[in-house]
Amino acid sequence: MGLVPEFVLDYISVNTYWTILFTIHALLAVALLGALTHQAAAVLMPVRQAAGGIDFVGRFRAVHGPAYATAVCVLWLATFVFGAWIYTKYRMYVRIPIEQEGFWKTQGFFEMKEHLATIGMGLLPFYWLVWKNARDPEYAGVRKGLTVTLAGFCWFIFLVGHVVNNVRGFGS
Amino acid sequence: MSTTTEPAPAKAAGAPASLAASATFRTFALVFALATPVIYVICEMRNWPLFTYHPGTNRVDLGWAAAVRDEGPAMYWYGWTASTLVGSAILGAFATMLPESVIRRIPLSLVWILPLAAIPVLVYALRFFWRW
Repeated sequence: MGLVPEFVLDYISVNTYWTILFTIHALLAVALLGALTHQAAAVLMPVRQAAGGIDFVGRFRAVHGPAYATAVCVLWLATFVFGAWIYTKYRMYVRIPIEQEGFWKTQGFFEMKEHLATIGMGLLPFYWLVWKNARDPEYAGVRKGLTVTLAGFCWFIFLVGHVVNNVRGFGS
Repeated sequence: MSTTTEPAPAKAAGAPASLAASATFRTFALVFALATPVIYVICEMRNWPLFTYHPGTNRVDLGWAAAVRDEGPAMYWYGWTASTLVGSAILGAFATMLPESVIRRIPLSLVWILPLAAIPVLVYALRFFWRW
């Protein structure tokens, strides 16, 4: 039945337990997506000091990128841990029905999601380093490439998770 | 004895933290990032998990193990991830022993190019799922 500590079931049902874990995973993913999207926008389209006021889009990309670096690393790791935890439930109770229904591409995209989550995690130490050296011009190019890559990975991972949940998630 | 408190030296804005300024950590992080997509793709395509997890019975086998009949599926992703992290960490640690001049020759752009290059390879590895 996956990783369920026995003592937890004295207080909540199995369904509640997995629902709590999944909700935490989803909320962490939303926070991570927001942080990385802000940062990617900031490196792709840095705001120049304008004479007039800054509009909504300008404010969106006017964030101080280095301040997000540690938060992004922590959020990626935390989202990864919760995702890995609920994956045991997914493998038993979601993937098998998906395969029985013949939703092969859905499962293929989920496999890709897990691949990118692991690869993205391996990039985090260097990502953190280049953002903590934000004034070093040596890292300007790699900072942009790495941040946009991680943001792209995060969007893909998030959307696939959302679609898979629609295929067989809550209430199924 | 003075009763006044000396103000702590103000940290320069944007100055890197000590770990971020460390050349050793830079080398480790760079090689770790370069090794991760390469080792992960190899582990996935050759199916080399460090361990196999059987969620139906909560059993863990070292290395690759087949699913046991009537005990549910076997999961390899945890094992691939573990293989990748351990392998990348070992390579990163070895790289810290190399001369700085060697590490400085590595193009930094590979850090984001290699993960992107891994995508078509992984898509190909998942060809079983692309059925219409």
